[in-house]
Amino acid sequence: MGKKVTILLHSGDLDKALAAFIIANGYAALGAEVKMWFMIWGHNCLKKRRSLFSFRRKPDPARESAYRVLETDNILQPLVEMFNRGGAGHLPLSRLNLMGLGPRLLGAMLRKKGIPDLEELIRGADDLGVKFIMCQICFDAFGLSVDDLIVPHVEVKGSAAYAKDTLEAQVNLFM
Amino acid sequence: MAVDKEINVLGKACPTPLISLAREVRGMGAGQVVRIIGNDPIFESSVVDFCQERGHAILETARDGKVVTMTFAIGPDIPPSP
Repeated sequence: MGKKVTILLHSGDLDKALAAFIIANGYAALGAEVKMWFMIWGHNCLKKRRSLFSFRRKPDPARESAYRVLETDNILQPLVEMFNRGGAGHLPLSRLNLMGLGPRLLGAMLRKKGIPDLEELIRGADDLGVKFIMCQICFDAFGLSVDDLIVPHVEVKGSAAYAKDTLEAQVNLFM
Repeated sequence: MAVDKEINVLGKACPTPLISLAREVRGMGAGQVVRIIGNDPIFESSVVDFCQERGHAILETARDGKVVTMTFAIGPDIPPSP
Protein backbone atom coordinates (compact mmCIF):
# COMPACT_ATOMS: atom_id res chain seq x y z
CA MET A 1 0.00 0.00 0.00
CA GLY A 2 1.28 3.43 -0.92
CA LYS A 3 2.29 6.12 1.52
CA LYS A 4 -0.27 8.75 2.39
CA VAL A 5 0.14 12.42 3.24
CA THR A 6 -2.46 14.96 4.32
CA ILE A 7 -1.91 18.71 4.37
CA LEU A 8 -4.42 21.11 5.86
CA LEU A 9 -4.12 24.70 4.68
CA HIS A 10 -5.88 27.04 7.07
CA SER A 11 -4.03 30.24 6.26
CA GLY A 12 -4.75 32.57 3.36
CA ASP A 13 -1.23 34.02 3.39
CA LEU A 14 0.91 33.69 0.27
CA ASP A 15 4.00 32.46 2.13
CA LYS A 16 2.14 29.66 3.88
CA ALA A 17 0.26 28.61 0.75
CA LEU A 18 3.56 28.50 -1.17
CA ALA A 19 5.10 26.28 1.50
CA ALA A 20 2.06 23.99 1.53
CA PHE A 21 2.07 23.53 -2.25
CA ILE A 22 5.84 23.09 -2.57
CA ILE A 23 5.69 20.33 0.04
CA ALA A 24 2.62 18.78 -1.59
CA ASN A 25 4.39 18.72 -4.97
CA GLY A 26 7.45 17.12 -3.39
CA TYR A 27 5.46 14.31 -1.80
CA ALA A 28 3.38 13.75 -4.93
CA ALA A 29 6.50 13.60 -7.12
CA LEU A 30 7.96 10.92 -4.85
CA GLY A 31 4.84 8.86 -5.31
CA ALA A 32 2.87 9.53 -2.13
CA GLU A 33 -0.89 9.86 -2.22
CA VAL A 34 -1.43 13.48 -1.18
CA LYS A 35 -4.67 14.97 0.03
CA MET A 36 -4.85 18.71 0.63
CA TRP A 37 -7.58 20.14 2.83
CA PHE A 38 -8.64 23.76 2.71
CA MET A 39 -10.50 25.57 5.46
CA ILE A 40 -11.31 29.14 6.52
CA TRP A 41 -8.91 31.36 4.52
CA GLY A 42 -7.06 28.43 3.00
CA HIS A 43 -9.37 28.16 0.01
CA ASN A 44 -8.51 31.75 -1.03
CA CYS A 45 -5.56 30.52 -3.09
CA LEU A 46 -7.87 28.34 -5.20
CA LYS A 47 -10.48 31.02 -5.87
CA LYS A 48 -11.08 32.52 -9.27
CA ARG A 49 -10.49 36.23 -8.97
CA ARG A 50 -13.75 38.14 -9.35
CA SER A 51 -14.35 41.87 -9.67
CA LEU A 52 -14.91 43.88 -6.48
CA PHE A 53 -18.55 44.53 -7.31
CA SER A 54 -19.45 41.18 -8.82
CA PHE A 55 -21.89 39.63 -6.45
CA ARG A 56 -21.70 35.95 -6.99
CA ARG A 57 -24.18 34.41 -9.40
CA LYS A 58 -27.31 32.84 -7.96
CA PRO A 59 -26.50 29.39 -6.59
CA ASP A 60 -27.59 26.43 -8.68
CA PRO A 61 -29.63 24.30 -6.26
CA ALA A 62 -29.10 21.13 -8.27
CA ARG A 63 -25.32 21.38 -7.83
CA GLU A 64 -24.79 23.36 -4.67
CA SER A 65 -27.38 21.95 -2.30
CA ALA A 66 -25.15 18.88 -2.22
CA TYR A 67 -22.85 20.70 0.20
CA ARG A 68 -24.72 23.86 1.21
CA VAL A 69 -27.92 24.85 3.00
CA LEU A 70 -29.24 27.46 0.58
CA GLU A 71 -32.22 28.38 2.80
CA THR A 72 -29.98 30.02 5.41
CA ASP A 73 -27.91 32.08 2.93
CA ASN A 74 -27.66 35.74 3.92
CA ILE A 75 -26.42 39.14 2.78
CA LEU A 76 -23.29 38.89 4.92
CA GLN A 77 -21.83 36.18 2.70
CA PRO A 78 -21.40 38.28 -0.49
CA LEU A 79 -20.32 41.22 1.71
CA VAL A 80 -17.53 39.19 3.29
CA GLU A 81 -16.54 37.89 -0.13
CA MET A 82 -16.23 41.47 -1.38
CA PHE A 83 -13.40 41.96 1.11
CA ASN A 84 -12.09 38.40 0.80
CA ARG A 85 -11.73 37.95 -2.92
CA GLY A 86 -8.63 35.76 -2.85
CA GLY A 87 -6.99 34.46 -6.01
CA ALA A 88 -3.58 32.79 -6.18
CA GLY A 89 -1.94 35.94 -7.54
CA HIS A 90 -3.50 38.28 -5.00
CA LEU A 91 -2.72 36.80 -1.59
CA PRO A 92 -1.06 38.92 1.12
CA LEU A 93 2.14 38.04 2.94
CA SER A 94 2.06 37.24 6.65
CA ARG A 95 5.10 39.50 7.16
CA LEU A 96 6.34 42.51 5.18
CA ASN A 97 3.10 42.77 3.22
CA LEU A 98 3.74 46.56 2.86
CA MET A 99 0.11 47.13 1.86
CA GLY A 100 0.31 44.82 -1.15
CA LEU A 101 3.80 45.74 -2.32
CA GLY A 102 5.40 42.78 -0.50
CA PRO A 103 3.78 40.02 -2.59
CA ARG A 104 4.76 41.81 -5.82
CA LEU A 105 8.38 42.10 -4.69
CA LEU A 106 8.41 38.44 -3.63
CA GLY A 107 6.89 37.49 -7.01
CA ALA A 108 9.66 39.37 -8.82
CA MET A 109 12.28 37.61 -6.68
CA LEU A 110 10.81 34.18 -7.39
CA ARG A 111 10.59 34.86 -11.14
CA LYS A 112 14.19 36.01 -11.25
CA LYS A 113 15.27 32.78 -9.55
CA GLY A 114 13.16 30.43 -11.71
CA ILE A 115 11.01 29.42 -8.74
CA PRO A 116 7.41 28.70 -9.78
CA ASP A 117 4.66 30.99 -8.54
CA LEU A 118 1.67 29.79 -6.54
CA GLU A 119 -0.61 29.21 -9.51
CA GLU A 120 2.01 27.08 -11.29
CA LEU A 121 2.44 25.06 -8.09
CA ILE A 122 -1.32 24.54 -7.83
CA ARG A 123 -1.48 23.37 -11.47
CA GLY A 124 1.54 21.13 -10.88
CA ALA A 125 -0.04 19.57 -7.82
CA ASP A 126 -3.29 19.01 -9.71
CA ASP A 127 -1.37 17.39 -12.56
CA LEU A 128 0.53 15.07 -10.19
CA GLY A 129 -2.74 13.78 -8.77
CA VAL A 130 -2.95 15.71 -5.51
CA LYS A 131 -6.53 15.61 -4.26
CA PHE A 132 -8.18 18.84 -3.16
CA ILE A 133 -10.78 18.66 -0.41
CA MET A 134 -12.82 21.63 0.80
CA CYS A 135 -14.24 22.10 4.25
CA GLN A 136 -18.02 21.84 3.98
CA ILE A 137 -18.95 24.29 6.73
CA CYS A 138 -16.58 26.91 5.29
CA PHE A 139 -18.27 26.62 1.92
CA ASP A 140 -21.67 26.87 3.54
CA ALA A 141 -20.80 29.75 5.87
CA PHE A 142 -18.98 31.81 3.22
CA GLY A 143 -21.48 30.92 0.50
CA LEU A 144 -18.87 29.49 -1.86
CA SER A 145 -19.20 27.23 -4.86
CA VAL A 146 -16.81 24.59 -6.17
CA ASP A 147 -17.38 26.17 -9.60
CA ASP A 148 -15.58 29.27 -8.30
CA LEU A 149 -12.27 27.41 -7.93
CA ILE A 150 -9.41 27.14 -10.42
CA VAL A 151 -8.98 23.40 -9.89
CA PRO A 152 -11.57 21.27 -11.67
CA HIS A 153 -11.91 18.30 -9.35
CA VAL A 154 -12.56 19.00 -5.68
CA GLU A 155 -14.45 17.18 -2.98
CA VAL A 156 -16.37 18.82 -0.14
CA LYS A 157 -16.14 16.92 3.12
CA GLY A 158 -16.35 17.27 6.88
CA SER A 159 -14.15 16.74 9.91
CA ALA A 160 -14.89 13.01 10.15
CA ALA A 161 -13.40 12.48 6.70
CA TYR A 162 -10.38 14.57 7.70
CA ALA A 163 -9.93 12.55 10.90
CA LYS A 164 -10.18 9.29 8.97
CA ASP A 165 -7.69 10.39 6.32
CA THR A 166 -5.17 11.73 8.84
CA LEU A 167 -5.36 8.56 10.94
CA GLU A 168 -4.43 6.56 7.84
CA ALA A 169 -1.70 8.97 6.73
CA GLN A 170 1.99 8.77 7.64
CA VAL A 171 2.32 12.56 7.56
CA ASN A 172 -0.13 15.31 8.42
CA LEU A 173 0.72 18.98 8.14
CA PHE A 174 -1.29 21.98 9.30
CA MET A 175 -0.53 25.49 8.16
CA MET B 1 23.45 4.97 -24.58
CA ALA B 2 20.01 5.11 -26.17
CA VAL B 3 17.86 7.66 -24.38
CA ASP B 4 14.07 7.35 -24.58
CA LYS B 5 13.26 10.75 -23.14
CA GLU B 6 15.20 13.95 -22.54
CA ILE B 7 14.06 16.53 -20.00
CA ASN B 8 15.57 19.99 -19.82
CA VAL B 9 15.06 21.99 -16.61
CA LEU B 10 17.91 24.46 -17.01
CA GLY B 11 17.19 27.64 -15.08
CA LYS B 12 14.34 26.08 -13.13
CA ALA B 13 14.49 25.98 -9.35
CA CYS B 14 13.05 23.54 -6.82
CA PRO B 15 10.42 22.07 -7.04
CA THR B 16 9.98 22.49 -10.82
CA PRO B 17 12.57 19.81 -11.80
CA LEU B 18 10.81 17.36 -9.51
CA ILE B 19 7.36 18.17 -10.93
CA SER B 20 8.66 17.87 -14.50
CA LEU B 21 10.33 14.55 -13.68
CA ALA B 22 7.24 13.05 -12.10
CA ARG B 23 5.10 14.30 -14.98
CA GLU B 24 7.40 13.09 -17.76
CA VAL B 25 8.16 9.59 -16.47
CA ARG B 26 4.46 8.88 -16.03
CA GLY B 27 3.43 6.14 -18.43
CA MET B 28 6.98 5.05 -19.26
CA GLY B 29 7.86 1.37 -19.15
CA ALA B 30 10.44 -0.43 -17.00
CA GLY B 31 13.96 -0.27 -18.40
CA GLN B 32 13.38 2.85 -20.47
CA VAL B 33 16.10 5.46 -20.10
CA VAL B 34 15.55 9.10 -19.15
CA ARG B 35 18.10 11.90 -19.32
CA ILE B 36 17.53 15.10 -17.35
CA ILE B 37 19.67 18.21 -17.44
CA GLY B 38 19.51 21.00 -14.89
CA ASN B 39 21.60 23.59 -13.06
CA ASP B 40 19.77 24.15 -9.80
CA PRO B 41 22.13 23.86 -6.79
CA ILE B 42 20.03 21.04 -5.29
CA PHE B 43 19.10 19.49 -8.64
CA GLU B 44 21.37 16.48 -8.29
CA SER B 45 20.30 15.51 -4.78
CA SER B 46 16.64 15.99 -5.76
CA VAL B 47 16.99 13.58 -8.67
CA VAL B 48 18.87 11.07 -6.49
CA ASP B 49 16.07 11.20 -3.89
CA PHE B 50 13.43 10.89 -6.58
CA CYS B 51 15.09 7.83 -8.09
CA GLN B 52 15.66 6.16 -4.72
CA GLU B 53 12.08 6.68 -3.62
CA ARG B 54 10.60 5.55 -6.94
CA GLY B 55 12.99 2.67 -7.53
CA HIS B 56 14.71 4.01 -10.64
CA ALA B 57 18.37 3.15 -11.26
CA ILE B 58 20.79 6.01 -11.84
CA LEU B 59 23.13 5.08 -14.69
CA GLU B 60 25.28 8.16 -15.14
CA THR B 61 25.91 11.58 -13.63
CA ALA B 62 27.94 14.12 -15.59
CA ARG B 63 28.88 17.53 -14.18
CA ASP B 64 29.98 20.43 -16.33
CA GLY B 65 30.44 23.40 -14.06
CA LYS B 66 27.00 23.97 -12.57
CA VAL B 67 25.18 22.00 -15.26
CA VAL B 68 24.41 18.44 -14.22
CA THR B 69 23.23 15.77 -16.64
CA MET B 70 21.77 12.66 -15.08
CA THR B 71 20.66 9.48 -16.79
CA PHE B 72 18.51 6.86 -15.12
CA ALA B 73 16.52 3.77 -16.02
CA ILE B 74 12.88 3.38 -15.03
CA GLY B 75 12.51 0.77 -12.31
CA PRO B 76 10.20 -2.25 -12.34
CA ASP B 77 7.55 -0.76 -10.02
CA ILE B 78 5.76 1.62 -12.32
CA PRO B 79 3.69 4.06 -10.27
CA PRO B 80 0.05 4.14 -11.33
CA SER B 81 -1.01 7.18 -13.28
CA PRO B 82 -3.29 9.42 -11.23
